[in-house]
Order: sequence, then structure tokens, then C-alpha cells
Amino acid sequence: MIEIKNVSKWFGDFRVLENVSETIEKGQVVVICGPSGAGKSMLCKCLNGLEPFQEGDIVVDGISLADPSTDLIKLRQKMGMVFQRFELYPHMKILENITIAPIKVKKMSQADAEKKAFELLERVGIPEQAKKYPGNLSGGQQQRVAIARALAMEPEIMLFDEPTSALDPEMIKEVLDVMINLAKSGMTMVVVTHEMGFAREVADEIIFMEKGSIVERGTDVSFFKNPKSERTKEFLDKILLV
Amino acid sequence: MGTFDWKVIYDNFPFLMKGLLTTVELAIIGITGGLLLGIIVGMARLSSKKIIYYPATLFVNFFRSLPLLLVIFWFYFLVPLLAGRPMGDFFSASVAFIVFEASYFAEIIRAGIQSISKEQMQAAYSTGFTYGQAMRYIILPQALRNMVPSLLTQSVVVFQDTSLAYVIGVREFLRSASIVDAREMRSLELYAFIGVIYFVICYTMSKMSKRLEAKRGMAK
Repeated sequence: MIEIKNVSKWFGDFRVLENVSETIEKGQVVVICGPSGAGKSMLCKCLNGLEPFQEGDIVVDGISLADPSTDLIKLRQKMGMVFQRFELYPHMKILENITIAPIKVKKMSQADAEKKAFELLERVGIPEQAKKYPGNLSGGQQQRVAIARALAMEPEIMLFDEPTSALDPEMIKEVLDVMINLAKSGMTMVVVTHEMGFAREVADEIIFMEKGSIVERGTDVSFFKNPKSERTKEFLDKILLV
Repeated sequence: MGTFDWKVIYDNFPFLMKGLLTTVELAIIGITGGLLLGIIVGMARLSSKKIIYYPATLFVNFFRSLPLLLVIFWFYFLVPLLAGRPMGDFFSASVAFIVFEASYFAEIIRAGIQSISKEQMQAAYSTGFTYGQAMRYIILPQALRNMVPSLLTQSVVVFQDTSLAYVIGVREFLRSASIVDAREMRSLELYAFIGVIYFVICYTMSKMSKRLEAKRGMAK
């Protein structure tokens, strides 16, 4: 479903991504972890064309992102994205945050879009917040709305860019629970996160990145039990302590 | 001589008010036209495409470096030439104000758009919006809200600037006072009167913008 082929990206002399390759099948959940500055978020944003790359190619459902004639707008409708800092639209109520894209992009009627939005809010557990503004919700609630907003476009793939790192500890679980349910429903997911509990429970593959490259990859058991590289071991020791 | 005689105001009140109306009209045209053109130019200033960025930047820097009086004169002679027939002083003044004020509004708009985080744009893109849709539904409504105080301040300036249309013969507020003055020789009373009116209108507008700013500050 997603094929990343030797992708490299740089700003001047600084290499952000170095020869990254990876194949993600339909229904797979891939977790990307690694120290900050490793290029995890950048890779995530390259997948839906929010960030360009200089070399290699990413092919989503047979559509090449390196091809300049590719309609990125169309492609992005297949992929939902959830951001670290939620990025809800602060001037719109929760309901409008979710319905605006289906109405304007998919030309859905307002009634249908609202019906769908309520179903999704039900699914993420906060239907009672529909008429509030994002500023009145907790971080965990905002992030669940952000997931609902992405799902409203009925994407085939969901990208998560550190969805829980801006949250207070007691709110992390409510967001992870939604993500776990999503994973179990068969959604194809790419998740940049350090939540190893989440990775253990639903990841089909875990990738460890450092300095723009994939250093190690494995299924959950092999990844945690016997990491091959010293760097991965060190990193896991540090984050699994907490 | 030596005494104030306010009767001159009373006698010429309808004529003076007609001048004030022209001033208000000119200000409204300058503000709305300048704002609309300013939004386009301001967005163009943020374009990554050189062919869009450079002309917009040239436009802004050019008009912000010229005195308004000169621009008014210039358009007064230029507009009939472009149109191929006389267009009237009010029309020329309107064009001059729209173009000149757009260069100031554009910079306010540019700064306002830049005040919205890049991730908001990415979030909008990620749900399948085009650039135009993202700007219209997500970025501009937020940016315009942040810009309201600066836009109001600039609007007060536009209102005052309209008095410069005097020089090309537009019968705005200041000119109508000077016409009455030429006939009645009551300069002190007349200019004091229109001064007070200018003050009341502009002061009220600035107060409103201050209050909006305070309200916004509390809402944060």
C-alpha cells in the first residue's frame, strides 16, 4: 500500500532523511521511534506530500509522490493525519472542525456530514463536546477530536506524528485507546511515537531511526527482546525505564 | 472681528454635511477597496513563486515609499489617460486611495497570515484542502481576527488621509469648509468645526479598536 524507496531529503548540507526504504502493507501498523531529530516526523510528513524530498520515491496505492504531475490534493484524501499539537481550527466549533473538509472537499451535505461527525465523536468517546470550541477542551479531548477530523474523510491510511507527546500523562491513555481500537479495526497506520506499550500491543513492525536513517527494524518480539544495534538497545533502555 | 460667530456653521450646515458624506464615501471606498486588494497583494507577498512574489513586493515597496499627495496627483493625471476620457476627480481619488492604502493593508495582512502557525496549513492540507480553500476557511479567518486592531488603526489613518483629495478639487469635508470660508471669511469657526468632527470620528474609531484589543487580550 505504501512503498518508500530510497528516500533522501536535505536542507543545504544537513541530511534529514538518508536513503530510507520501507514497505507497508494494507492493514499494517508500523511504529517509528528514535531520538529527536532522527527524521521520524519528517518521514511521516513526506508520506502525504506535506514535505518534499529530493531523492527516491514514495508510492502510495500505485501513485508516485516524486512524479510532479501527481495530484497531491487527491492523494491526501486517502490519508488522514494527526499532529503532535492537535492543530484543531481554533475559530471553529468541534463539530465544524470535523465537518468542514467533508463538506468543502467531498461536497457532502451538511446534514450527512454532521451525522457522520456525531458517529465519529461517539467513537472517540466525546459526543457531548460537539458545540464547544477547541480551546475549552483538554489536550486529550482535542487529540481525539483531531483523530475524528481525520477519519471524517474516510482515509485508507492514518498517519500519527507523535500524537501523545504534547499530552499530560493522565491523558495519554484515552488517546492511545482510540488508536488501539482503530488499529484493531484494520486501519493501515504509520505512528511516530515513543509509547512502547502501544507498539507492543498493536504494531506489526517497529522501526528505529537515527540521523535520518533506519537503523533497525523488527516485529515487536524481536525488536524488544534482542535489538541488534547497540544504539537501539541504549535507546530502549532509556525509554523503557519510565 | 475678534468674536466667534457660529452662525456660519448653522447657515452652511447642509453643504458642510454633504462634504462630510463625500469624505465618508471616499474613506469607505479606500478602506474596502484597499483591504481587498491588500489581501491579494499580502498573500502574493508570501508566495514561493518568484513571478508572484516579486511584483507584489515591488508594488508594496514602491507605494510605501511615495508621499500620498504625490500618488493622488499622479493618478489624477494618469487615470484619464488610461481610460481615454475624463473620469472625474472623485474617481481618480478613489483609485489613488485604493492602490496606496492597499500597500499598507498588504503588510498588515502578510504579518497576520504569518502569525498563524505553519502546522495549521498542514492540517488543512492533510484533510484534502487546496491552497485556496485552506486560506479561505482556515488561515484567513484566524489571521483577520488577529489583525483587527491594526486594520482599524489603518482605517483611521485612511479616514484622515482623504482630506488630501482636497488638492485635486474633490469636494470632501475640508474642501467644502474652504469653499464656505472663501465666501464668508470665517476661517476660525469653520476649521475649528471640521476639526472637532474629524477628531470625534477618529477618536471614536481608535477607542473602538482599543476596546476590541482589550477584549481579545482577555479572551486569550
